[in-house]
Amino acid sequence: MRGSRGVFAMKNMELHLTVNGVPLNWSIAPGELLLDVLRRQGYFGVKRGCEKGECGACAVLLDGKPINSCLMFAAQAEGRRILTIEGVAIGGKLDPLQEAFLDHGAVQCGFCTSGMVISGKALLDRCPDPSEDQAREALAGHLCRCTGYLKPVEAILAAASKKKHRARRVKPVAEVAR
Amino acid sequence: MFDKVEAFYRPANVREALRLLSSGKGQAQVVAGGTDVVVEGDRSVRFLIDITRAGLSYIRHRGAACVIGATTTMAELETSDVIQALAGGLLSRAARTCGSALIRNLATLGGNMANGSPAADMATPLLVLDAAVVMVDSNGRHKLPLAEYLAAARASRYAKALLVEVVIPEPPRGKGCQWSFQKLGRTAVDISLVNVSAGLQLDSRGRVKWARIALGSVSPAPMRASGAEQRMAGRILDQALLAEIGAEVAREVSPISDARASAEYRREICSVLTRRALEECAAPAGCSL
Repeated sequence: MRGSRGVFAMKNMELHLTVNGVPLNWSIAPGELLLDVLRRQGYFGVKRGCEKGECGACAVLLDGKPINSCLMFAAQAEGRRILTIEGVAIGGKLDPLQEAFLDHGAVQCGFCTSGMVISGKALLDRCPDPSEDQAREALAGHLCRCTGYLKPVEAILAAASKKKHRARRVKPVAEVAR
Repeated sequence: MFDKVEAFYRPANVREALRLLSSGKGQAQVVAGGTDVVVEGDRSVRFLIDITRAGLSYIRHRGAACVIGATTTMAELETSDVIQALAGGLLSRAARTCGSALIRNLATLGGNMANGSPAADMATPLLVLDAAVVMVDSNGRHKLPLAEYLAAARASRYAKALLVEVVIPEPPRGKGCQWSFQKLGRTAVDISLVNVSAGLQLDSRGRVKWARIALGSVSPAPMRASGAEQRMAGRILDQALLAEIGAEVAREVSPISDARASAEYRREICSVLTRRALEECAAPAGCSL
């Protein structure tokens, strides 16, 4: 390989994965991190924050579970399903959790938001009616330096209760009153 | 970006992983969850060997023992029925304190041990459970006590070997045994300033029949407080003994001062957390402390 394709070609490898439901085949360097590859491919909703797994801005779902994409080698995503914030809204329609973030003012500068929505979505997918403690636990590992944590917690709980009420086809009292 | 890396391997079994490790000639790095390797790892490595597909993610019974594959994640330990039923769920509770949910979906039990951090949250619960680790190298499998492994984990003594499994013998005293995990960190996702695990069994008259105390983040490697354990044997667990054990533990540890806490503070916290751990263990026996 070295002789025929040169040093650069020798270093690159193929990565097959599914991002937001689309099967993809990328060329990556073997030492690249998933965060770097996702951003190079245009998924800028995956934010580069601390690059140490402390801030959660780079969170994506890996086979449905939230992870820090800055802590994973891209090559480890071979054959796996990734969901980034770009894939949360479907057909231009925001997810109820994204709506709830807007309704509750849980967004300020927005840098932490995509990660928080990803973790919030993973929680609601696994546990449709979380307690406040569970919402807080899901957001531990996400740092916000502007709006704080109360509003995102409220947004997650509101999205859960909205989903529940929708399922029952009953409007929440507060919404009727409004 | 680890830009010196020439090849990334995903061996499908331990034998292949070992072959790659030895052909890497010291320039290969084993990676699993990546939460330590990516943050602190040597960026001059030329080969990465991902062992998460090598068949080492499992939790099972083997005879009376419980065995946990090295690449089992913290999230799996948190939710496993087997682990929740083992020693009052001690390992599940400890796993739940390791970093954030994001990290726990990646971080592995083997990595937590192999990284060799004195603060490794899973080390003290495993020490009080008398756990062993199974290492595999070109000469075969070797089982060694976890304490022995941890004492040398950072010295890269095991550079040519793979940690494949953690073995937990049947908790020695059965149902009468109580367990506790105590951790002090600044935030929900913080590394331990101090963590303490304890196992305790009292006889019908409230005397200590069996005791284990282990402390993390207060010595070069997670350690057992053997002196304190011995002092407890056969004695009634009362406030006076708790005070004595707290003081003994503080003597046994050798904490350092760093950005996160002073040695004096850590020493004090060792006493406090040890007392809390023993009180939690004694509570179900209706011991009036």
